[in-house]
Amino acid sequence: MKLGNLNPITKLICYVILFAWGISVLYPLLWTLLDALKNNEQFFLNAPWSLPEFPLLWENFSYVWNTYNFGTYFVNSLVVTAGSTGLGLLLSATTAYVLARYKFKGSNALYLLYISSMMIPFVLALIPLFFLLNSMNLINTKPGLIVVYASSVLAFGIFVLVGFFKSLPKELEEAAIVDGASHFGTFFKVMLPLSQPGLITIAIVNILNIWNEYIVGTILVNDPAQYTLPVELGVMQAEMQYRTEWGPLFAGLFITIVPVLVIYIFFQRQIASGITAGAVK
Amino acid sequence: MNTGTAKWQRNVFIAAFIIPTLVFFGIFTIYPVIQGLYYSFFDWSGMSSNKTFVGFDNFKEMYHDPIVWRAIGNDYFLVAGKVIGIMAIATFFAVALTRFGFKMAGFFRSIFFIPNVISVVVIGVLWNFIYNPQIGFLNAFLSLFTKDQVTITWLGFTNHTIWMLLPPAIWAGIGFYMILLIAAIQSIPASYYEAASLEGAGQWKQFRNITVPLVWEQIKVSILNIMMTTLNGSFVIVWIMTEGGPDNSTQVMGSYLYQMAFRQYHFGYGASIGFIILVLSLITTIILQRLMRHETVEMS
Repeated sequence: MKLGNLNPITKLICYVILFAWGISVLYPLLWTLLDALKNNEQFFLNAPWSLPEFPLLWENFSYVWNTYNFGTYFVNSLVVTAGSTGLGLLLSATTAYVLARYKFKGSNALYLLYISSMMIPFVLALIPLFFLLNSMNLINTKPGLIVVYASSVLAFGIFVLVGFFKSLPKELEEAAIVDGASHFGTFFKVMLPLSQPGLITIAIVNILNIWNEYIVGTILVNDPAQYTLPVELGVMQAEMQYRTEWGPLFAGLFITIVPVLVIYIFFQRQIASGITAGAVK
Repeated sequence: MNTGTAKWQRNVFIAAFIIPTLVFFGIFTIYPVIQGLYYSFFDWSGMSSNKTFVGFDNFKEMYHDPIVWRAIGNDYFLVAGKVIGIMAIATFFAVALTRFGFKMAGFFRSIFFIPNVISVVVIGVLWNFIYNPQIGFLNAFLSLFTKDQVTITWLGFTNHTIWMLLPPAIWAGIGFYMILLIAAIQSIPASYYEAASLEGAGQWKQFRNITVPLVWEQIKVSILNIMMTTLNGSFVIVWIMTEGGPDNSTQVMGSYLYQMAFRQYHFGYGASIGFIILVLSLITTIILQRLMRHETVEMS
């Protein structure tokens, strides 16, 4: 596409704005890493954009990993994210398949129920969820977080996957049935493998959301041994008023960011398609 | 195989695939929402023994609670600020990265989305560091232009601190809406723009007469989405950056709900705040949809 009728000055201004915004995004990431290598003295005496002094304090990472138990929180976040993404995917894929491919009484109403639940503010459910999980002895447990997160991603998953299953050609199923496959066989052997791109898209979007989630985590977990990374960061930052350890705080931020950045770098396209699919409600 | 068995097998299959999800969803999503509405009619400190039905008393109390009004005002301040800020910048980026034929458009697009994959907690902590009075970026930057060290407590003004929450919220929201708009713009047939160019329409005219009408549906969705996510989710950035302070000046309904319920154990009052959030988002959705209704243009 030609630039054609865009004059050079406008073009230059646009470039400057684009670069400035790009720096505003990349620089904080870089500076998180650089600040993770400083000690308090450097924070208070030097300008915030100054580079860390040698020797670089890599031990901030091991300090926050061991003394602040980021190792434990990392594993907690990993287990909770993996568990709820997997469970959410299984539950939404099965329902979405039936809603997309079978007509039965109430199927439309069911679809509407899931879709319209996306309009309800989740904060409304917070207080009851706390008491519900309390009565089920699931407060301060990973299974507790897993079931709540899995349930919270169902509507989005069903919405996107119904669209995806509908887009697959009907002949595939018919062929499988002619070959004598059962309904279950058709789903698990034919349709599920074919829907892999859709499943991956949802999985990635859910992984990012759940890894980063804070509100539910902070309400359902108050036992420090069960914290997830965002919950611990919230606590750690509140403690900064009494105990200033900026280097370790930035090391903690960095540890929290790196996994999602890696996923983002590898799965950009799936994330973008997840957004566009999910937003056209 | 007779048709009876086939039908039976089909029904078993449907039930096996529908019911577990529905039960699960019912327990962990629908039931809590209904309970939330129910709790809002009680005075309740969390101990089941002292839950008393008070009818609409919580709502009456809210009506006389200046913090509730302040929180609602702040919610809508953030909605308005984010809608204007995010839509203006995201639209500019979406157009610049599609219609202006810039090199590196893909690179910029990838970079701009990064804040959207980072936890709001991380974003809050990073921006707190920018605003930090002693060691923050903003004061250090301003100090370059003055003789004295600048030591402004950016998050300490009862009247203005809510403004300080807008830049991180806008900065973090751009990428998502930019991607949406880019997808919409890319689905517009190139021939429309070619025809306009041939007739001598400049970029601005093309933007106004082709791009905006044809992506209006996405703009609408984006504005509604910003409104919803702000009313439901500003809580996190507020809680991390200011805890609703100083002196409740940055309180939003979500953070007030959290504070009332989980800090002060007024669970009934907290639940009624949740009720109001639901009502506000429904009303605002209806109003916004009415306001934006007539402008849609179908692509032929």
